[in-house]
Amino acid sequence: MRKKMIMLGMAFAMFCLLLFSGLALARTTLVVWDIMTESNQYYPAFDAANARFRELYPDVELKHVPIQNDNYKTKLRTAMAADNTPDIFMTWGSAGLKKYVDNNKVYDLTDDLSKEWQARFAPAAMGLGNFDGRQYGLPITNTAVSLLWYRKDMFEKYGLTPPQTFEELLAVGQVLKQNGITPFALANKNKWTGSMYFMYLVDRIGGPGTLQKALNRSGAFNDAPFIEAGQKLQQMVDLGFFPKGVNGLDEDTGQSRALLYADKAAMYLMGSWFVGVVKLENPAIMDKMDFVVFPAVKGGRGNPGNLVGTFGDLYFSISADSEHKEAALNYLKLISDDTMAQELVKAGCIPPLTGSAKYIDDPVLQKVAEIAQRAESVQLWYDQSLPLELTQVHLNTTQALFDKSITPEEAANKMEATAQEYFGK
Amino acid sequence: MLFLLPAAFFFLLYLVVPIPVSGYYSLFKWDGIGTLNFIQLDNWKRLLSDDVFWLAVSNNFKLVIISIIGQIPIALILAVLLTRKLSGVNFFKTVFFIPMLISSVAVAFLWRYMYDPTFGLINAVLEGIGLESWALSWLGDTGVVFYSIAIAVCWRFIPLYMIIFMAAISGISEQLYEAARIDGASPFQSFWKITLPLLLPTMINAVVLVIVGSLKYFGMVYALSGGGPNHASEVMATYMYTKSFTELRMGYGSTISLSLFLIAFVVSVFFLALTKRSIRD
Repeated sequence: MRKKMIMLGMAFAMFCLLLFSGLALARTTLVVWDIMTESNQYYPAFDAANARFRELYPDVELKHVPIQNDNYKTKLRTAMAADNTPDIFMTWGSAGLKKYVDNNKVYDLTDDLSKEWQARFAPAAMGLGNFDGRQYGLPITNTAVSLLWYRKDMFEKYGLTPPQTFEELLAVGQVLKQNGITPFALANKNKWTGSMYFMYLVDRIGGPGTLQKALNRSGAFNDAPFIEAGQKLQQMVDLGFFPKGVNGLDEDTGQSRALLYADKAAMYLMGSWFVGVVKLENPAIMDKMDFVVFPAVKGGRGNPGNLVGTFGDLYFSISADSEHKEAALNYLKLISDDTMAQELVKAGCIPPLTGSAKYIDDPVLQKVAEIAQRAESVQLWYDQSLPLELTQVHLNTTQALFDKSITPEEAANKMEATAQEYFGK
Repeated sequence: MLFLLPAAFFFLLYLVVPIPVSGYYSLFKWDGIGTLNFIQLDNWKRLLSDDVFWLAVSNNFKLVIISIIGQIPIALILAVLLTRKLSGVNFFKTVFFIPMLISSVAVAFLWRYMYDPTFGLINAVLEGIGLESWALSWLGDTGVVFYSIAIAVCWRFIPLYMIIFMAAISGISEQLYEAARIDGASPFQSFWKITLPLLLPTMINAVVLVIVGSLKYFGMVYALSGGGPNHASEVMATYMYTKSFTELRMGYGSTISLSLFLIAFVVSVFFLALTKRSIRD
């Protein structure tokens, strides 16, 4: 008898569960994938936005799924391949987003962009989410340019001035080295970190046209500037400018910044998002930090005001097969509104959103914004401007340059061979 | 028989069907999203002349050897010690089993921080006792990184074999040891003459597990080095992962995964056949 009662009770519980889950399903569930984990510097802004969205749209269940940077890219690719996409996803725009656009995975936002909404975004940032005149991704964060950060107090201690030329950079590095300090904090397991040095050297030596020419095949990836950049890079390696075991250190776990925080390294070539990262990790050190742009190379053709980076960093898009386009559009509108701009600035971001400049009161951020606006050319990161096949070869060969398992000529030739295979000539 | 059906269904769907399907995909150039381009056996030709793949294969076999030498004897010693009736033995049973309870990625992070060349525990100890020249960059040096990872892998899997051996040892009849004691055998002799021979079948099973596990190993290699720097710690599974999911070359990735399966299959069948004969003799 008792057994029967228990069975009945369980059956009833099960029935209720099914009923409720059925009800829950009837609500709109909006799934958002991005990289806003709690350790992300912009997490506070997105967390606040999500809370606002939940309050404004109580009938929509917002399922926010944050995934760490490098894993995110893989997860998104796999989901795209398996037709198992979230309603809203984030990319870095450009080639990565275009791949999904070409395969009809991304919803075309052009017709939903009202005049007022369109005006929310800085025009310079829209390009990377725009293909053939149609807008597929909206830039939410941020003007991100790679800058040469340095510890003011350490430079003062050893009587150094921030380097303006590559030769000065070598001299500064050697002084630091003699005093037992690693000149550069760098964690190159992630590869894109070390790539920044290479991109800047190519720009300073050959000018911004070098990569363009290699890509449109009027030049080549083994042109002199690419080789010379590799040589200069290895010159720094030979002088011991980078931390021990640099290719085994992980940027995602902050093994590079740890050196900077512990007075073991004095310089750090990193994106301007570094401001937000420091504010989150070690606010006291920000007062001791300043930056200059990457030094010029003697006889080089690149204007030393040129930058490597992007005007828009993270682009948000809606999947083509999302069933909740309206809710998704509301979400995108919310994360591009004025409150969001304000929150993002607070988190150390320079959002590509109109009217955000007036909120920037941090002097370092103001300086970053100014330099970015003045720059004659902003070279987009190679790992986003190159096709995927070439990106991987670029990242792998550049990492190999750092432990000298490849010569600059071999690296350049390998790039060119892959390019010939890819472009079919 | 009928009870087997659900299990058999999922076994077929998730473990058996993917094998011929990978074989099919290995004939295409495919990015996982777009269209499939039939390229016949080009992926396989490419694989045969792919230096990185063969480096990965040799790393896998190195891992097999290091794991057999490193894991089985230590697990055996621990198991023998922990099955004795000593005081505090339960405490140590728990302590030695902990590595198995932590997830691979968490273990990898522990080791990552220990291996940190500037702030890590290992280099701090080495420098503390005056062995500065031994303080290497454990995960950054292409000559060292693979062994650093192999040690961490051994550390994590020793408890698994320890538990297997402990179960087998407690299955050995106490009477045998009593008889040996009456005949005047030393504990050492009873280990060699009783424990070890009776454990042999269990050990062979353990070795098969080590071989297969090491050949398809992925977790901590991926979390510690991702196969780098410059492929120095690449194993077949990480290479397959990079090709398929980072470079989006699903066809080539399938080729690698199918060859991984073939290699692991052939090696374990060969080993089992070999040991079966030697047991019978």
